[in-house]
Amino acid sequence: MDAELSGHRYRLAGGCGLLTGQEATLERSVTRPPGRRWRPGRGLLVLPPLLFVALLIFAPIIYITLFSVGLRSNIPGAEVAFSLDNWNSFLFGDNNPFRARFFYSMRVALLVSVVTTIAAYPLAYFLSFVARERRYTLLLLLLAPFFTSYLLRVLAWQIMLNDEGVVTWAVRAVGLIPDDGNVSWLIYSTFSVSLVLFYTWVPFVTLPIFAVLENMDHRLLEAAQDLGASRWTTFWRITFPLSLPGVIAGFVFVLIPTTGEFITPLFVGGADNQLFGNSIQAFFGTRDWSLGSVLAMALIVTVVILMLVFGRFLNTDLRATTGGDDG
Amino acid sequence: MNGPIENALSRRNFLSGAVMLGGATILTGCGSPAVEETPDAGTSRPPMEQEPGELSILEWGGYEAGGTKAQAYGLVAGTDYTDVYGGNSISYTYINNDDQALQKATASNTFDLMHPCVEDLPDYVSRGLVQPFDTELLASFGELNPFLVEAGQVDGKQYMIPWDWGYGSLLYRKDMVDEADATGWELAWNEKYADKISLWGGASTNFEIAGLILGFPDIDDPSPDEIEQAKQKLIEQKPLNKFYWDNEYGQMRPAFRSGTIHIAYSWQAAYASFADKGMDVGYLEPSQGRLSWLCGFLLGSTTENYYHAHEYVESFINRKASEDLVNLYSYGAANTSIDINKIDNQALVDSLKLDDPMAISSDDVHLQRWMPNSAAIDTAWQEVVAS
Repeated sequence: MDAELSGHRYRLAGGCGLLTGQEATLERSVTRPPGRRWRPGRGLLVLPPLLFVALLIFAPIIYITLFSVGLRSNIPGAEVAFSLDNWNSFLFGDNNPFRARFFYSMRVALLVSVVTTIAAYPLAYFLSFVARERRYTLLLLLLAPFFTSYLLRVLAWQIMLNDEGVVTWAVRAVGLIPDDGNVSWLIYSTFSVSLVLFYTWVPFVTLPIFAVLENMDHRLLEAAQDLGASRWTTFWRITFPLSLPGVIAGFVFVLIPTTGEFITPLFVGGADNQLFGNSIQAFFGTRDWSLGSVLAMALIVTVVILMLVFGRFLNTDLRATTGGDDG
Repeated sequence: MNGPIENALSRRNFLSGAVMLGGATILTGCGSPAVEETPDAGTSRPPMEQEPGELSILEWGGYEAGGTKAQAYGLVAGTDYTDVYGGNSISYTYINNDDQALQKATASNTFDLMHPCVEDLPDYVSRGLVQPFDTELLASFGELNPFLVEAGQVDGKQYMIPWDWGYGSLLYRKDMVDEADATGWELAWNEKYADKISLWGGASTNFEIAGLILGFPDIDDPSPDEIEQAKQKLIEQKPLNKFYWDNEYGQMRPAFRSGTIHIAYSWQAAYASFADKGMDVGYLEPSQGRLSWLCGFLLGSTTENYYHAHEYVESFINRKASEDLVNLYSYGAANTSIDINKIDNQALVDSLKLDDPMAISSDDVHLQRWMPNSAAIDTAWQEVVAS
């Protein structure tokens, strides 16, 4: 239904929702009334930040793409020519080591994300439902490591886990290994890389879960218990489903950056535990950036796909999953 | 509830703008950067008093000028400069390996001075990153080793002022490694020491090592087939590595000291340091010969501190600074006027031939030189690391 008021056209939106009691929306038409000159509106105010984002995100991606297909070179004076050789080698080459490294990195990222999310949930639950008055103080303590340098935290783990570190000392002290022995997989291993990544991301994953639990309508929990649900049933059928957006958000927040991680493997990873990000980082220290650009583009595409896939779950209306009615 | 933005930028207009922006980016983004023109020798320059005086230097950790806050090891070199101009006027960008140094210099051609090694000198010159020194501005230039001076020349021009030289070999713990195994570079391939070995992350060095083991006629100019052979040899060695180290002081030395590794690729400074601290260490004299290296200063092609840069270099190559270099790091110095009797550790002087001006070019060592196939070697090395 359209109407005209004060020289502007309005449309009554909501459609069939009107019949079900949904709130009607009044949308102001964007068509210009006849006889009015065009004036720049508030829409132009978003142009500067849009250009900023376009330049900082799209332009670098375009540049990297040019490197990856040979249309640009970092070597001064070098001749350039379009070539898909590096792409073909990475995607279809027999036993391509970088493709294998990519899949290894995805496995590590997935493992770290799952374990971190599982570990973060009880923390968030404790802060929201148990700590109550002290929850923000405890949350601050949980986030305290974030106030220090990421590099220093990784170096601290390198010191703790090495053969003369506190962990080895403790293992020797309880007699599990001889006094001159060591635990070979403690440092420079997949374990050490995963452990440090887990430690780094747990506070970060706790935050979105905590936020969702805090904003949950706790009357639903009271109602469930009034209706005879046990605490476990209440948690499993009410609390957990409603917290899923936070869980998925936390999972995505650790999965995506971990796919490109390179600092942690650099300091606590061994020769066999470098991640895909290390290959990308190393290539941009070599004479020719073209293959590194291919790897970087592959990572960008992967991240975009992950965001598209998980973004759908983040938009899910969870009222439907709990069997609740809309009306 | 919010309604649509009044006179909003339509999706069509936004996409049109984005396409135009992207197209412009593509058109301007194709190609390669232009080679910088090297200033001629006769280019007029402002007098020293008019130079900004703030030096930007691409440098290895530990070689910062004495008198700067960054210098944490007591190096004396550079104090003649910082005593006059102050230590706060110098900023350092750090190098982990030669390839990285070249890329940093290429990406940001704003350094006044750089301190790479001679094997990359042709690349610095061909990319227009450097200009020749005016050797008349260097009072100590005449005291430098003529062989090393010549090594720093390209087309007869003095692009590199040589300063430090030394060896690359395997550092090992004599109490943990059988002496019978410590005969050649294949020590790093010995499965008995699996998980106790750490090679450096430098691509060209590792391919030279593999080339020595495989007996290539020219380890610095391997053919594509030889590159593949060396790659397979390094893949074979990889499972025995605990890790590839990038930073000597932050990674290799702590791991060696703590016993995490017993064998590591190293320059002789680490050997001298651990020996001085009483560790029972050896510095391998491989049957195939040690690697040797020569490094020195390059003058940035775009420097605005021409005279300051020369004074800085002079403060490093003079006799006092060179003697301190030998004492502190047990590296050789290009300055031949140093009094070798003033060097504290005479045993090291003898074992490392620090008093021999031709030591790094002798028949039993391999001076690392420019590699024509370095791009292919870089890629092959990354395949080793990723394998």
